[in-house]
Amino acid sequence: MNFTNLINKFSLPESEINHVYDRLSERYTKNPDPWGLKVENTRKSLKIAGGLYRNYFNTRVFGKENVGEENYIVVSNHSGQIPFDGMILSCAFLLEFENPRILRTMVERFVTTIPFFSSFVSESGGVLGDRSNCLELLKRKESVLVFPEGAKGIAKGTKDFYKLQNFTRGFYKLALKQNTKILPVSVIGAEEFYPLVHNFKSIAKLLKIPAFPITPFFPFAGIAGALPLPSPVDVHIGEPIEVNKDLITNYSDDDIDLEVEKVKNSIKSLLNEGLKKRRPFWANKITESLKESELNG
Amino acid sequence: MVKQKTALILGISGGLAQITAKVLRRENPELRIIGVDNRPISKLPELSGVVYKKLRYSRNDFERLFRSYKFDYVFHLGRMTHAKSNPRASLAQRLDLNVMGTNRILELSLEHNIKKLIMLSTWHVYGAFPDNSIFINENSLLRASIQNADLRDVVEMDQLSTNFMWKNQAEIETVVFRPCSIIGPTIQNSMTKYLTNNFAPVGIDYDPMMQFIHEYDMAKVLSRALKSIPTGIYNVAPDDFISIQDAKKFITPKALPFSIIALEGIAKIINQTSWSVPSYLIDYLKYPCLLSNKELQKHLPKNFMRYSVQDSLELMRLP
Repeated sequence: MNFTNLINKFSLPESEINHVYDRLSERYTKNPDPWGLKVENTRKSLKIAGGLYRNYFNTRVFGKENVGEENYIVVSNHSGQIPFDGMILSCAFLLEFENPRILRTMVERFVTTIPFFSSFVSESGGVLGDRSNCLELLKRKESVLVFPEGAKGIAKGTKDFYKLQNFTRGFYKLALKQNTKILPVSVIGAEEFYPLVHNFKSIAKLLKIPAFPITPFFPFAGIAGALPLPSPVDVHIGEPIEVNKDLITNYSDDDIDLEVEKVKNSIKSLLNEGLKKRRPFWANKITESLKESELNG
Repeated sequence: MVKQKTALILGISGGLAQITAKVLRRENPELRIIGVDNRPISKLPELSGVVYKKLRYSRNDFERLFRSYKFDYVFHLGRMTHAKSNPRASLAQRLDLNVMGTNRILELSLEHNIKKLIMLSTWHVYGAFPDNSIFINENSLLRASIQNADLRDVVEMDQLSTNFMWKNQAEIETVVFRPCSIIGPTIQNSMTKYLTNNFAPVGIDYDPMMQFIHEYDMAKVLSRALKSIPTGIYNVAPDDFISIQDAKKFITPKALPFSIIALEGIAKIINQTSWSVPSYLIDYLKYPCLLSNKELQKHLPKNFMRYSVQDSLELMRLP
């Protein structure tokens, strides 16, 4: 099998891509928006990303019935050393619903500096994670995807897999400001994309990226070792959470912390439930042994 | 008898100043305009009600001018740009003309009881950064010179004007405009040169969104400031956008694709050839710097702008 055939085998069928694009064309204008989103690029990006989503990560989505037509702040756990979870969630909202939508993923500053990739990300809907960007998008009734754990979420050691890190408060304040519902989401399976042996923080700092993971396969297996493992992914969508309307006019940081904790707990429950339902994966044995060795120091 | 109102336009040789003079005269037929520039004025077209004067921007020359004409309004459109068509445009000269010259104009405007001062700054003052919000409002920091010392003069000129505005708002109305990239057949700035030059490559690795305002629309905004825009700082931008790659491909479809990162490295060599690459321009080809136009919109009627981004680019493409 040559490389083109392999790509075609993993790509989404044209008919499905066209269907999604037609539905998106009803919702979005053809002209790019100020953040650089180009809807026609969905065809290209969905071919590969959708192929990975469906045929490589075998993604399943639970809780679709919790998603209505309104816009949300989608809040998820963050995992996987390299943020493939953002791509997976974006694909889920494009492929799993009759009325697809482009999730506006809030990305770290370093992403906007990477040649080629920064353009690809903004053309696909990614936006610099910044308060005013998020607010402007919510005003335009767009759904935004945030990872309140930030870079700490993806650059975790193996022993901390599926342990939620501290959530920042910003997303809740923005939800309050625009009275937007929060949609809690958990992603199961992405932690195992790169079983972590060691994170070279100094190299990551030098390259201005959140993590430089050494895995059992990278860099020892060359370029192939840099690919994420085909860990099956489950996305669990919880019930939307209304903001506490008593806080709309006046709140303290303690009030916000309480509400953020509720969102965090909701995601924690989704994670716990999801872990019970997960599918077996051969590399989980590697992860387990790495976890044990990390715990034993 | 009511005294005839007189406006001074600085930088009258520039394309934008010429159009502004025409629009001002059309909308205010009673207005007398004195157009001043230190560049040659002999080839400028004759305009009814407009008198041209070639002057050095020194204090004595200006003082005589202010004393003789007793201006009511001053339009400061005479910024020396970084475009290489101006061989004198070294940083030291730009600092002298743009900063010291602006200071002279501000002092004289106050001394001679000018009613309204309209200053043209630029979007460049905000700087193009990967962490710029979309959109940048008038209260945002002016970070351009942090990244690029070449833009020190435009930042200082802007700050000088806005400090003056707040300090003297009881005595003189001051309007500072920070327009997005002005384009049009008569505009010769670094962006129009980049867009129209076939040798200037189209980037492949970065593609920020851009705002372009047509020269005629910008002139209309300047003219409107005379009576309908109060003291303040205003970003000037249309409502629509285009990515820099799309704009470049539209105007010069034959331009070669090239990496902006690599261009940054070889800009010094390219500077000696047919296209000059001001070092600061590279940042604006990489990162976004989009302006919020909400403040200005409060003072403009609906559909005030005549040209969309697409219209403006199409007009640039005409032979």
